[in-house]
Amino acid sequence: MRSRRLALALAMILMSGKAFAQTDFEGIWEPRHPPNAHPPLAAVKLTPAGRAEFESFGPEKDPALRCIMPAVPLGIINPYPTEIVQQKHQILILHEHFHEVRRIFMDGRKVPDRWAPSLEGHSTGQWEGQTLVIRTTHLSPDNNMTMTGLPFSGDERTYVIERLSRDGNVLNLTAEVHDPTYYEEPYVMHGRWDFAPKGEILEYECIPEFGGVQ
Amino acid sequence: MKKLGVVASSATLAVLIGVSASAHHSGAVYFEGTKVEHKNVTVVSYTLVNPHGRLVYTFTDDAGTKVEWTAELQSANYSRRMGLDPSSFSPGQTLSFVSGAPSRSGAKFIRLDRVVFENGDIAQLAGPDRGIIRAGVK
Repeated sequence: MRSRRLALALAMILMSGKAFAQTDFEGIWEPRHPPNAHPPLAAVKLTPAGRAEFESFGPEKDPALRCIMPAVPLGIINPYPTEIVQQKHQILILHEHFHEVRRIFMDGRKVPDRWAPSLEGHSTGQWEGQTLVIRTTHLSPDNNMTMTGLPFSGDERTYVIERLSRDGNVLNLTAEVHDPTYYEEPYVMHGRWDFAPKGEILEYECIPEFGGVQ
Repeated sequence: MKKLGVVASSATLAVLIGVSASAHHSGAVYFEGTKVEHKNVTVVSYTLVNPHGRLVYTFTDDAGTKVEWTAELQSANYSRRMGLDPSSFSPGQTLSFVSGAPSRSGAKFIRLDRVVFENGDIAQLAGPDRGIIRAGVK
């Protein structure tokens, strides 16, 4: 009887499709980003093209004010809760912010031919020990690095490497944004979230008419 | 170089360029570092939506003229977590005090950071003590 129960439990685990051979990230996480979430402006090394783009920034270049999902890289670190769903073939990062859904493929697939550039790009993940390493390519130029107007070119040379790890009830992320058109060196940001089993993900409908700054 | 100088001169550089707990869109780019204060204002309209809520109000200025200002709030989601809801303000309601950072454009537009209601309740919408402070409750 006992062995049958064990077998049944094992079968249920296998059928659930969960992939916790490595770290368990599942659940809702509340943001508690560190003061150095973004580097100080003085430490950011823009190329001449990047500096020109930064200096011409205004509300019309802020995608979020037009209700365009910030996504990658602008939305990597945001001040709203996030839910992570871990499946065998993919990990879903569900941001409350702009209903953003990130899909991290874990099954070793390559980027399909003719995958169009997009705000989320194409993300694949692999484990380095207990750390999830995410590589994102095929990103859109209709984005920024920060809400303050640091730019993002989104050209074919751009890509993002994120390292996600769990320390108890704390989720840590380091993201390296590679954009050699606008930056002399990778732009690095840090995120931190607290596990929030009673947290809530709210709907985030966005109305562009209320995004303008007078 | 103009904008770089503006941002770099701020005392709270890390917050301006980063994502503080309260930041959504950067106030540093669109709003002055100063503050305007208005007393005894009358609510014209209030909309709690994303990406920003909006409160329109009028008051009589020192010259005796009735003027209308618009205040930008944080996003609806963030505002809800601070304790505001769609019924927090209603047309015709009098507010004892509102304050916020003025728009760099010179328009009658502020980023709202504090409201004092007639009953003494306070909506503190920026800074580490964000939230609704009920009158008489310590």
